[in-house]
Amino acid sequence: MNRGRWKLYTFLGLGFAFLYIPVLLLIVYSFNESRLVTVWSGFSIKWYLELMQNQQLLDAAWLSVRIAATNACFAVVLGTLAANALVRHGKFRGRTVFQLLLTAPLVMPEVITGLSLLLLFVTMEQTIGWPDGRGFTTITIAHITFSMAYVAVVVRSRLSQMDRSLEEAAMDLGARPLRVYMSITLPLIAPALLSGWLLAFTLSLDDLVISTFVAGPGSTTLPMVVYSSVRMGVSPQINALASIVVLIVSVAVIIAGLSLRQRPAAKGH
Amino acid sequence: MTNPERRTLEPWQDPKAAPYVRIDHVTKKFDDVYAVDDVSLDIFQGEFFSLLGSSGCGKSTLLRMLAGLERPTTGRIYIDGADVTDLPAYSRPVNMMFQSYALFPHMTVEQNVEFGLKQDRMPRKERAERVGEMLGLLQIGELRKRKPDQLSGGQRQRAALARTLAKHPKLLLLDEPLGALDKRLRESAQFELVNLQERLGITFVTVTHDQEEAMTMSTRIAVMNAGQILQVDTPTTIYEYPEYRFVADFIGLVNLFDGRVAEIQDDRVLVETQLGRRLHMRCSHPHAIGTPVTVAIRPEKLQICQTYREDGVNQVKGVVEDIAYLGDVSIYRVRVSPELLVEMTLTNIQPRTEQALTWGQEVAMEWSPTSGVVLTE
Repeated sequence: MNRGRWKLYTFLGLGFAFLYIPVLLLIVYSFNESRLVTVWSGFSIKWYLELMQNQQLLDAAWLSVRIAATNACFAVVLGTLAANALVRHGKFRGRTVFQLLLTAPLVMPEVITGLSLLLLFVTMEQTIGWPDGRGFTTITIAHITFSMAYVAVVVRSRLSQMDRSLEEAAMDLGARPLRVYMSITLPLIAPALLSGWLLAFTLSLDDLVISTFVAGPGSTTLPMVVYSSVRMGVSPQINALASIVVLIVSVAVIIAGLSLRQRPAAKGH
Repeated sequence: MTNPERRTLEPWQDPKAAPYVRIDHVTKKFDDVYAVDDVSLDIFQGEFFSLLGSSGCGKSTLLRMLAGLERPTTGRIYIDGADVTDLPAYSRPVNMMFQSYALFPHMTVEQNVEFGLKQDRMPRKERAERVGEMLGLLQIGELRKRKPDQLSGGQRQRAALARTLAKHPKLLLLDEPLGALDKRLRESAQFELVNLQERLGITFVTVTHDQEEAMTMSTRIAVMNAGQILQVDTPTTIYEYPEYRFVADFIGLVNLFDGRVAEIQDDRVLVETQLGRRLHMRCSHPHAIGTPVTVAIRPEKLQICQTYREDGVNQVKGVVEDIAYLGDVSIYRVRVSPELLVEMTLTNIQPRTEQALTWGQEVAMEWSPTSGVVLTE
């Protein structure tokens, strides 16, 4: 290995260190015996055990998971429909506008998204009586609005890579359009759907700002609990919780990445 | 063409024969571009018909309209007497093999072949039989459990063919069927495809840009350019008696001499050309004197002239400038005037090293008045 190589690896190492040392420290300190977050006094899993006894945290975690899963399912369906419209329906009227509106939530400041949704929900409740109060439903709807944009981007790139003649061949062999979609298109874009689902799930699990706006009393998500308890002083329990979240998110991201890599391009050769 | 046996082999000669596929004044416009421009064409049962042309000439669009994947802007398409213009692809009695083969990557060879049969709700047992029959026909039985990405190019082509034939279509459309194969494989696949077609008696319509492929396989060829069909004929007629300059030039090598009709003697026209002498050509069309024409002569119709005379019929003299040795034949490019090269093909009867004709040598060539054509367009 020559000197140039060494330099390259050093910089790579420094880059990764900058990104991941904080996370690693957090995981290390979650196994700390001491109550003081900054002083290491020995290995222990007592904070994990204590976490298991914390009903408020567990409730919040369960709510977050339910919201994330529901959100991901809806986001995948809507995002896929949007991607189909963009890739498969040529130059329909208003395509550019549709595309811009679809991707806008990706760059929209969360505070604005949250505030506008809150206003919407309040107005709707006053005029049509739905949604009844704020909680699970409103948070989920809010999360779907931005998650589906991410799903649409992922599915869209997969769809546009797909060889059109595969669907034409299926149609030529006697399959009607719906049948073609179910037995050819869907299986071929399935990896993108899976990675879109996982992406939507993680995004929802992480979200604090938008949730804070549209949540009601009694519907506190995990990030909200963490945030409020940290303001009172960091408990090592939060380190343990954060480590678990990091684990779940990493696994999801790795699966999403692998599923996109397995069949690089569904080209018809 | 009065021989009755010939007539059955050449249904297009028979005015009473009903065409199997009738394309009636079909035009296809994409935005403002005419991809196919007022094409009419009859294809008969059992034909191996080729649409030949360079890329972008509209041949693929025409094929896709037969498959039902594109809808004509105007005009009608009839298959077996029925108007199918408005039928979607999935209800047509037609199957198509795609240039990319379009094998479903998430299914095995067997499942690919079975796909079309499943759409017809064929019972499981019958389906299995048909799949077996098709895999046997194309000799890919041992590959039945493989996925398309585990197959070689030739095997993929067979799998795709098995899939399109599985539904026993009456008309098979093939888009550049051999385009993705390497040269050696392509030659054997050509013969195989023709044998298969003759054995099954299915009407084949192929699209190709490879003139050699079209010549070897087809009963008839339609030469297309810029969305229009220029000439529809048997390979022999297309090659020997092209009707257009484009056709003559597109298929095989050809020497083209531009000139004007100077004189008419019985069935011959005498054409004044830039060669500085009049060319004598047999011509069935009566041309008015002064008409601008092009004389087209294939390089293999030229011979070395033993007795060159200044006033000899169709004799020219020049200096060998280039020799392309192809093994069986050699192509000699002979400079006959400062701006004119003439190509002559000679069979290498003697080994190359013993041949008399070499670079810089003067050579006289001649051809018979019946071995070329006079073109006006």
